[in-house]
Amino acid sequence: MVFPAGTSSEPRTRITLGEFIGLTIAGLALGAIYAIAASGLVVTYTTSRVFNLAHGAIGMVMAFVYWQLRVEQHWNAPLALFVALLLVAPAIGLIIEATLIRRLNPNDTGMALVVTLAVMVALMGIAFTLWPQTKGRLLPVFFGPNAHLSVAGQLITYEELISIALAVATAVGLRLFFFNTRIGIAMRGVVDDRQLMSMNGRSPAMLSALSWAIGAALGGLAGILTASTYQLDIINLTLLVLNSFAAAMLGRLRNLILTFVGAIVLGLLDAYVVGYLKLTGWLVHLRPVLPTLFLFVVLIALPAVHLRSGTAVISRAIRIPAGARSLGNGAALVVLAIVVAPFLHGTVLGNVNAGVALGIGALSIVLLCGYGGYVSLAQYAFFGFGAWLFSEVGHGGNPVGLLVAAAAGAVLGAIVALPALRLRGLELALSTLAFGQLAYYMFFLQPEVMGRSDLAIPRLHLPGISLESGDRNLIFLSIVFALASAGVLALRRSRFGRILVASKDSQVAVATLGLNLRLSKILLFALATALATFGGALYGSTQRLVTADNFQYVSSLFIVLIVYVYGVSTPGAALAGGLSLAIAPLLAVHIPVRFQAVTYFMTGFGAFVLLGRPTGIIPAVSEWLHDRLPRRVMGHTGGPPPVVVPREPSRPTVEVSRAAASDA
Amino acid sequence: MTALDAVSIGAEEAMVTGLIGPNGAGKTTLFNVITGLQAPSGGRVLFDDDDVTGLSVHRRAQLGLARTFQRLELFGSMTVRENVQTAAEICELWSRQETPARTRTEEILDRVGLRAVADTAAHTLPTGLARLTELGRALATSPRLLLLDEPGSGLDSAESEEFAALLADLASEGAAILLVEHDMDLVMQACAQIHVLDFGVHIASGAPDQIRSDAEVRRAYLGEPVEA
Repeated sequence: MVFPAGTSSEPRTRITLGEFIGLTIAGLALGAIYAIAASGLVVTYTTSRVFNLAHGAIGMVMAFVYWQLRVEQHWNAPLALFVALLLVAPAIGLIIEATLIRRLNPNDTGMALVVTLAVMVALMGIAFTLWPQTKGRLLPVFFGPNAHLSVAGQLITYEELISIALAVATAVGLRLFFFNTRIGIAMRGVVDDRQLMSMNGRSPAMLSALSWAIGAALGGLAGILTASTYQLDIINLTLLVLNSFAAAMLGRLRNLILTFVGAIVLGLLDAYVVGYLKLTGWLVHLRPVLPTLFLFVVLIALPAVHLRSGTAVISRAIRIPAGARSLGNGAALVVLAIVVAPFLHGTVLGNVNAGVALGIGALSIVLLCGYGGYVSLAQYAFFGFGAWLFSEVGHGGNPVGLLVAAAAGAVLGAIVALPALRLRGLELALSTLAFGQLAYYMFFLQPEVMGRSDLAIPRLHLPGISLESGDRNLIFLSIVFALASAGVLALRRSRFGRILVASKDSQVAVATLGLNLRLSKILLFALATALATFGGALYGSTQRLVTADNFQYVSSLFIVLIVYVYGVSTPGAALAGGLSLAIAPLLAVHIPVRFQAVTYFMTGFGAFVLLGRPTGIIPAVSEWLHDRLPRRVMGHTGGPPPVVVPREPSRPTVEVSRAAASDA
Repeated sequence: MTALDAVSIGAEEAMVTGLIGPNGAGKTTLFNVITGLQAPSGGRVLFDDDDVTGLSVHRRAQLGLARTFQRLELFGSMTVRENVQTAAEICELWSRQETPARTRTEEILDRVGLRAVADTAAHTLPTGLARLTELGRALATSPRLLLLDEPGSGLDSAESEEFAALLADLASEGAAILLVEHDMDLVMQACAQIHVLDFGVHIASGAPDQIRSDAEVRRAYLGEPVEA
């Protein structure tokens, strides 16, 4: 435990038994909510093998639906709860499962993460549209304002007792369901062997759908309980997924009992820390990151996962431009910038500049996710770190500051990768989201960094060349992007690039060929993070003034989604993504206030494109053009076109040979 | 559940050793234990008389262990040539190779018979060729012990004979080959020594002729009743 400086000189307040009881009950009540949410997460994950990143978002929407029915429509509580939890929530779960989840390959962790992340962001967009956060909303307490007990002088609300009782009911209910009902036993069977289940006549698809309905109902219950105890806040309720993930990780997302234990520990931790520690100074934002810290401890304490065979993902090849071609594309971009720059002014010019700078940083997503297959949800933390470093080191815009930012990024990336080495793709993605949240609260929000006032960052100053004007800066950034993306493509064509893609296709295979996956992972994270902090430094230097708001952890979700939408294995997608995010706020000026959540819709709903075109928009368009335009125009380069014939893994052949063998 | 119980199996160098047994006998589990993908609850894995039980997957590969997979683990987004080349390049990272990776790749493509499909995307290959690609990839690391998990499924009888010849050829160069296979013709033709597993228990060992006539094997593997 870390105590804030100065407490030792003050007389310690005596801890009374009553206080302790009060805090413990409050902690148990919070733990109960986490337990309900986390058990929903576990049920869905174990049965459908897709981790529902949108779990918290579903809970959030259900809390608002309940508010709508209970407060706006004046329904009574039981009816509103019945409709919200037993009709609307399961329906949402079923719809998501039937339209999206069923089409995913559970072994393709990256795509599964991106699609559920898209659901999360889309639901947030819908919530911002239906329930604008301009007015405060409160849920009425369940049995009126005077409904509470008094134990040892402490007020204990009915809400707290209800939460605890419901968690116990959930635990008992799930236990009975999984061990005493035929369908529950079947759902446990799916976890063990999907094929066997389907041979026995149980449809894994039906069981998967059921698990999404149950998961959504439990998420909804947790959302409503959170909202009635705390407040109706879209982002905080959505991030319930992180807290419940932290609890569920104790049982490695499979064990319900350990999940409950994790949830209770988390709840008590929150209550005692808030009750007994003076959260002042740099600890002022400690509370929201407690689950994250708990998560990191659990992740470090858990044994490393073994590589598993039989999880290879069949990914599609996309055309990799040859060196000359990629430099040609870069030159075209620079020419375009030179032509366009004089016509852009004011905010538009500023935002386009910011977009290109973000694009440079987003190239790290191409490296990490596109080539390496690791979904990272903390890129804005790295951008912010780069920007802050440039303000500290790049006095007068000294370009050495850029190099320092990149070098520090490489070190940071290697450190972040260290715990990541032990994790699977899913755990890695969620811990990066947690890392982003931690960086935001414990670093960017600190007054010394950029929490209190705007942080001034000098514009980069090259010897003899002034980049003070926006149009010159745009041309410069375009040159940097062109060079950086040519570098990224050169890396893809190199031996290291092939090894990265091979590792993405099958980790088991590369390990059995003698590759030390840890080393290659560290190298990849160091390189990608260096690129991210470098881009972040340029972004800061372009903006000149930044606040912690520029590096909100939610933004990391947007940028990963948008790069996937455009095509995560294509450097051009980084530029398109950065520009889209930077320009979206300009559009917001021209549309009704109600539809301000443009970015949420663009990235959330945009990502559903991937279900039809898994490689993203840019490769799809380029394939389309390639098929239709004469060869001369497209300048066909680099090897023969990949044969793209979607095929199922050829398991039936194996079965035939088995049959043959037993006939022998 | 115990997939393997007190199984002791050896594979000698310059020889093809067969490992047979019904589905669920524990053959793939044994391969996973040998290559380090699964940790055994007891027992040891010896390689050249050195205990490698505590070593990581990649360290064992660097000592000269290579394998193919029953459930394919191809680099699906690459061509056949890139599959083999990348393996050769990974090998370059941990061992000194005199011949460049590209040259070795072309040699292997010819040797395994993948020349015609070298530029085909690996995920579009039929099973037989996909298994050969995995073999080619394993060969790129110049292994001293090669574990082949059902490499013959998906091959027709002519291809199967060529494959047996290839195995004999590889063994003659000094490699120890452990072959898990359901195609009994291929096993009998290619192997000098055969071990039989049934429900995780090692029930017989011997030359092909001995195995063919072993009553216990016939009962376990071919489902014939044991005559009293």
